[in-house]
Formats: sequence, structure tokens, C-alpha cells
Amino acid sequence: MSSPSEIKKGIVVLQNGDPWVVTEFQHINPGKGAAFVRTRIKNLKSGRTLEQTFKMSETIEVVDVEYRNMQYLFHDATGYTFMDSGTYEQFTMSDDNVGAQGQYLSESLEVTLTMYEGQPIAIQLPRKMNFKIVETMPAVKGDTAGGNVTKEAKVDAGFIVHVPIFLKEGEMIVVNTDTGDYVERA
Amino acid sequence: MNLHVLRARAEIIRLMRAWFFNQGFVEMHTPRLVSIPGQEPHLEPFTTEVVEASGAKHPAVLITSPEYAMKRLLAEGMERIYDLGPCYRNNEPWDGTHDPEFLMVEWYRRDADVNDLMDDTENMILSVAREFRVEPEALTRSWRRVTVEEAFREYLDVELSPLLEDRAKLAELAVSLNQTVTDDDSWDDIFFKIFLTHIEPKLGVEQPTFLYKYPASMAALARRSKDDPRYADRVELYIGGLELANGFAELSDPVEQRERFIEERVLRAKLGKQIWPLDERFLSALPAMGNAAGIAFGVDRLVMLLTNSKSINDVVPFSARERFQPEEEKQS
Repeated sequence: MSSPSEIKKGIVVLQNGDPWVVTEFQHINPGKGAAFVRTRIKNLKSGRTLEQTFKMSETIEVVDVEYRNMQYLFHDATGYTFMDSGTYEQFTMSDDNVGAQGQYLSESLEVTLTMYEGQPIAIQLPRKMNFKIVETMPAVKGDTAGGNVTKEAKVDAGFIVHVPIFLKEGEMIVVNTDTGDYVERA
Repeated sequence: MNLHVLRARAEIIRLMRAWFFNQGFVEMHTPRLVSIPGQEPHLEPFTTEVVEASGAKHPAVLITSPEYAMKRLLAEGMERIYDLGPCYRNNEPWDGTHDPEFLMVEWYRRDADVNDLMDDTENMILSVAREFRVEPEALTRSWRRVTVEEAFREYLDVELSPLLEDRAKLAELAVSLNQTVTDDDSWDDIFFKIFLTHIEPKLGVEQPTFLYKYPASMAALARRSKDDPRYADRVELYIGGLELANGFAELSDPVEQRERFIEERVLRAKLGKQIWPLDERFLSALPAMGNAAGIAFGVDRLVMLLTNSKSINDVVPFSARERFQPEEEKQS
């Protein structure tokens, strides 16, 4: 038995006999109330998602999962394919299972996959990754006056990040892959 | 950390102080270092020790809120006061909206109720935003005031009042909403599992929203509502996914306050947490405080809202993450 304080992205909890992977979580201490963890969990058998809140002092059943280092290979109609760098075994995860993390994957990126009963269920990306800004508006004088200090920038991997207005096309930036936020110049 | 935002932060704080000054509030600088912390079962103060030159030692804590000192000042005869300064809470999640050291403004009025607190809060935010010349999208819509009972009706189509003293029925509702309920869960715990999953995430998303009139058990320092004693006059403000403020029409009955403190202390002990004596000076000051109302307001979060910052780490000079986490684990 475990405590909800151990909840993080990618862990698998057993509820009513079914394995559920935690896809999102947030610790909440509602003012003068008890402490809770609000989660979004996904049933690994049916794919159904639920929002559920656990009290810190209750117990949950965490299922053992295996972590394996893999290299990302390619994306096609079946999803995202990875290869175990040690055994050369290949595994594919569907677009649905990968979700928004897919935008960070580029060929031969080293990631850690969470394996449950032999199948990958979650990806752990490097927490910080470097990307190049390929498209953004130049800074306009006076933009800082109202406190509106970020602008949209498109990076080489194709997604949009909010960055400080002083950054220009061609610059390398560090992005936090947990939040999708700009961290600093690379 | 972002220097543009830090400049904006300084200006926002200056404008807040100006608003309080214009409304006749006097700024109090209450102590950060005190001998007895609050009894809140789920807040963890930082503990330390005060040592006199003679070697005499006194256990001490950093405040989690200036509340006790502010109420004693009301009892001493102050009428409208505010305290704008850092507060400290240990064991907080470092998740983008919390830092163990954060800036809070708390203000109190004698002879006031939650409606006055809601008026003050709305006026203060709108005034600061106007003077700061920004209009975040979240502030362009009209403000809402909904009771907890109305929120249950609106988001779950459930009547809360018949459930107030019926743990079994509340548990049934929770289970029907895919929550787990254990034998250890109190009425409050089950309430929060429902509220935090199905109601709170929706509050303030469309419009700035005050949520008020909480079930009485959820408001240890609040007066019971005049029209329905099963509820208490507590209010929270949500804007754009952020919880910004938590206020009360303050309980001034020392007997009921003592009972609630003892209950909280028992709960602390049950949770295996450190316990401490009741603050007798605070309790004896209560009757002289009158019918006051007070609210605690997260300044860092207002800065986040007005500068369109996603994380508290962007709006403070050196966040806890930057100070305490090893270089390789740091996040923005």
C-alpha cells in the first residue's frame, strides 16, 4: 500500500482490479482543509479517462512498472515507434497514448518508457530540451509598458512557445517538457 | 525569473498600497517571527529558536499568516488595517502557484461582512489593473458571486443542503461521480473530493468568481451565516484558474473559537504532526474585535495574472526552486 503523495505522471494505480495510469496530477491544500491530490487517470485496458481526487492520508495500490531506456525511431500511421537500445526490441505507442508529448520527439532522441505487462504506457522525456526559434514577430518598442512581456514563437519541432519579446528567429531556447514553458536561452 | 516582470511587480505592489491608503486602511507591520503558530491542521510552519544574549531559549515559528496579530490589533482599537508582507509555509507543492515564501496582503475591517470583502477585493483588483494599464482577458468579463450551494446546483445539479448532515448520501454522490470513499473519510473529505474534482476547476475560468457561504465545518475562523447556521461566511476568489483570496466574517466568540482550536489540535495530533498550546492572548482579545471581516490575498498570484505569467517562479526574484534545488533539477 502506498500514499497518494507518491503520485506522479506515469505511475500506475490499481483500482477495482483495473490498472490506471496517472496522466496529470496537482497537489491541493484547499485553505484550511485537508491536503489532496487531484488527478486525471486513464484505464490501461479500456482507455477510459477519469478525474479523481485522493486524500493525502488515504492509501492507494501502486502497481510495479518497469522503466526501459529507448530510442525514438519514427512516427507512422500506427503511432510512435521506439527501440530498446540494449535488446533492439521495438515497441509502438498509439498517437492517443503519446498525446501532446509527441511534439517533443525527434529521431534518435533517448527517452525512458514506462512498461506495464510488456507494453509501453508512458514516456519520460528529458525535462529540458533545446529548440531553435524558426518564426516569431520582432519586438516592438513599447511592448513592455503594459506588462505584456511574452510573444508567440514557433520552434523547429513545429510547436508554439511563449517567449520573452527580446528573442529573435534563429536563437536556441530551452523548453520545459513538463509544462511546455520557455525556461531560458540555450 | 524575469526582470520585466519584477519591475511590473514593484509597480503593482505600489498601486495596491495606494488603493489601501485611499480607502483609509492603515498598514501594519506585524511580526514574522512569533511564539505560537496557527492551529490549522494542514499548514506547516517553519520552526526555529530565539536565543537571548543570556542564553535563554524560546521556541519560535515563522508566520503562515498575520491573522492572529491583525485580530489582536482590531481588538486593541484599530478599524481598517492591512499587512502586506511575506508569509511562510512548509511542505507546499512547488508547482507553479506555490512557493514556501510568498507575499500576502491581509486586510481587516471592523463591522463588516463577506459582502464588504467581496466589494473591496473586486475594487482593489480593478483599480490596480486600470492604473497599471492592463486588461487581462480574465478581467474583461463581469464578476460573479455564487454560494457553494449554488455551485453544486449549477455544476452537478445537486442540492447540497439536504446532504449537510448526511455522510452516507454524500458518499453515494461521490461514488456516482467516480470518486473513491473510504471509512476514514470525514464529511469534509468527501465534500472536497467532489468539490475539487468537479467544481473548483471550473470556477473563475469564464469570469472572475467569488465562491462564498461554505458548509460551517469548513471555516474554522468564520462566523455562521445569519440566515442559515449550517453555513459559515467564508469567501474565496477564483480568476482564470488561480485561487487568489480566502476571507472570513471573523468569529469573535472565544468559547466557540476555543472548541474549534481544540478540534484542530486533536486532528493535528491524529495526523502525527507537532502540536502547540492555544494562543490565550489571541482568545482573550477576540470579544473586543467586534464583527470584523478579513481576507488573505496572494500578491504573487495577482502579479502572475496582470503580467500574464504562468508560474510564480517568474514573478519572484529567486524562487525556492532556484535557491534549493540542485542545478540539474531546476525548472522554470
